[in-house]
Amino acid sequence: MIQRLLPFATLIVLFVTLCFVPNFLSETNLSSVIRQTAVINIMALGMTMIIITGGIDLSVGSILAMGGLIGTMAMEKGQPILAGVAIGILTGASCGFVNGYLTTRLKINSFIVTLGTLGIFRGLTLVISNGLPVHQIPAGFSFLGEGTVLGVPFVLWVLMVCAVLVHLVLEHTKLGRYSFAIGSNPDAAFYAGIPVAFHMTSVYAIAGALTGLAGMIEASRLMTGQPTAGQGYELQAIAAVVIGGGSLRGGEGSVVGTLVGAFIMGLLSNGSDLRGISPYWQQAIIGAIIILAVSVDELRKRRVV
Amino acid sequence: MLLELKSVQKRFGGVTALRDGNLTVRAGEVHLLMGENGAGKSTLMKIVAGMQRSDGGHMLLRSHPVSFASPKEAALSGIAMVHQESLLAPHLTVGENIYLGREDLGPFGFVKRSAMMARAAELIEFHGFPLKADWTIDRLSPAGRQLVEICRAIASGASLLIFDEPTSSLSESETKEVFTIVSKLKEKGAGVIYITHRLEELRSVGDRVTVLRDGATVHTGDLKDLSRAQLIQHMVGRDLGALYSRQPLPAGKPMLEVNHLTRGKLLQDISFTLKAGEIVGLAGLMGAGRTELCRAIFGIDAFDSGDIRVEGKPLRVASPCDAVAAGIALIPEDRQKTGLATQLSVGWNLTLASLGAHSRAGILQSAKLAATEKKYIELLRIKTDGPSQKSVRLSGGNQQKIVIAKWVAQGARIFLFDEPTRGIDVGAKTEVFEVMDSLTRQGAAILMVSSELTELIQVADRILVMRQGKISGELPGRTTQEEIMALAAFEEKEALQ
Repeated sequence: MIQRLLPFATLIVLFVTLCFVPNFLSETNLSSVIRQTAVINIMALGMTMIIITGGIDLSVGSILAMGGLIGTMAMEKGQPILAGVAIGILTGASCGFVNGYLTTRLKINSFIVTLGTLGIFRGLTLVISNGLPVHQIPAGFSFLGEGTVLGVPFVLWVLMVCAVLVHLVLEHTKLGRYSFAIGSNPDAAFYAGIPVAFHMTSVYAIAGALTGLAGMIEASRLMTGQPTAGQGYELQAIAAVVIGGGSLRGGEGSVVGTLVGAFIMGLLSNGSDLRGISPYWQQAIIGAIIILAVSVDELRKRRVV
Repeated sequence: MLLELKSVQKRFGGVTALRDGNLTVRAGEVHLLMGENGAGKSTLMKIVAGMQRSDGGHMLLRSHPVSFASPKEAALSGIAMVHQESLLAPHLTVGENIYLGREDLGPFGFVKRSAMMARAAELIEFHGFPLKADWTIDRLSPAGRQLVEICRAIASGASLLIFDEPTSSLSESETKEVFTIVSKLKEKGAGVIYITHRLEELRSVGDRVTVLRDGATVHTGDLKDLSRAQLIQHMVGRDLGALYSRQPLPAGKPMLEVNHLTRGKLLQDISFTLKAGEIVGLAGLMGAGRTELCRAIFGIDAFDSGDIRVEGKPLRVASPCDAVAAGIALIPEDRQKTGLATQLSVGWNLTLASLGAHSRAGILQSAKLAATEKKYIELLRIKTDGPSQKSVRLSGGNQQKIVIAKWVAQGARIFLFDEPTRGIDVGAKTEVFEVMDSLTRQGAAILMVSSELTELIQVADRILVMRQGKISGELPGRTTQEEIMALAAFEEKEALQ
């Protein structure tokens, strides 16, 4: 139990420590941490679902770019802002569907499938945009990434709604229960008559939709549809899930854990920025945290079983 | 004295697996270790084999106190264990697995592979096992893997061998071969500890017996002084009375009809009918196609020709989903691999197949779920701390009850039981039979695959026998083991003589 609480404790200790760093508690800084973390966080929510089924999605960075690009292109072509956002989300969902379909129908390991689609989606995004960013975006679109509601960044509201939804799906729906079962023992799930392929494809599509939304937020923050956005984000999303107690063997993971994981990484990077620690070091520190988190988790499991 | 264990204790979290484990093994004896599932037999043996550390007590090997930190340390002291669940490397060959970790090394640390494979082939041939040294493990059935484990233990030249119920997945002839091996080891002066549930096998192999109950040694003594009834009494602590016997029901309407089912050489022109209220036994030697038949009916493997009808209606099975929708349930032979998600809770496993009925528009109805979980834990007397306990912590018998309860909760009407009592203690076996009986009384039809002929005779209304992918005959329930074996092992003409 103590070790299960370790991520929370780490987050709290980290936060309290950072309170002694000048400027950390300023409104500008805190909201910037939230805005920076939200994109990774929303992607990580989808990744949590995929990792629970025992899969992985390496293509989320490319999906993010494609969603953001197609959504902003729609706006550029005169679509209203809401329609543009919806198109971005749908684009993400379609990419996720492709990942899920290939994984389940061709029975290829999701690592390989998404390693392939990582390249395919990125390449298509560059082809569609001809490598050029989209700039002609309605000014109102910036509200998604930079707006404030009731004194709190709008993205935090979006994140909270997504987190609650994903939590409800995982804990209170058939899809969620099946995800845990598939991740824990795919053969037993198949033998129980569960339509494994359908449910796994759904999970990848939902994760894709969330990534598409994250892509729209990223585009809104930059006010650009950037075909090169999101490179390397997949590893940050996976890291958030893993730090939060998700297991790459499947069957384990939680929304709360993932949120904590993403915020630990967000605070670490913000804290080192404020203390003037080089970003080169930041990468090394986050890498070490991932290994530490997983080894603590392994120790906990070994003791129980 | 080869091995002495004195009040060995082991706890897992809040659960005490061993309170007072005592055991003495002499060189040159076969010592049987018995007890219900969850009595602590496997835990005690894992401590001896260095796979787990004890929390208290003493272990003496040849009168020297020992404590093994790893299986390797135990192996260096001459202890080898044949495991119930296969611990082999599935992508390596039989020969490589036999000598895994003990490879002959040539210059520069290269493995002398051909010499090693030749030695493995020699060993297999010497014992007459149906194996080849260059087969990979993932092609083998559970029984085949068990034989490899046995070869591995013999090849290590250990002076103390532990067999963890090796014969539960083996055919009669393979079982005999295992007993021959055990006798040879004994003659050579090795000590053998043999964990088993099967009372019938005891007399021929054992010298002494130790019975564990609830984590403590309750009896040690010579086997010949002990009657079967006494032994059972030690194990369960109460009188079991007569062996299980079932009151047959008048058979109802046909539930499952299989016509001319054919799948390559594995299944050839299989036809039979299961009627409501019936338990039909399916006997056969290993590889006769019994499990393959269940898998084909359940939609796991596609078949070439033939058809399946459920309650008169033709059924097309492309996957287990179709079979489940038609009311067919499979209780698979390999509980850990395909029956249960062992890392998930008891409750989740119980309701895994019936989530559709426990949800509206995909949203789970938790109160209804909790009620179902509670109902079946009580109904099948599943021994657990509660629905949220991890299934992996339960004994084999209780795990099997979860698998059965999963399908009862789902509302299945046709049950395919594949080796339902494998690795289950005597008490739990009777309970499984009682559940099967009560299912038939509610109108279900049951096909029961079993290698335990006595169980088939006790439970089944009639018995189908398979041999080399064909149904070689049908016998009434009250038949003899000899008649079943005659159909299972010999051509018809031979059987008649």
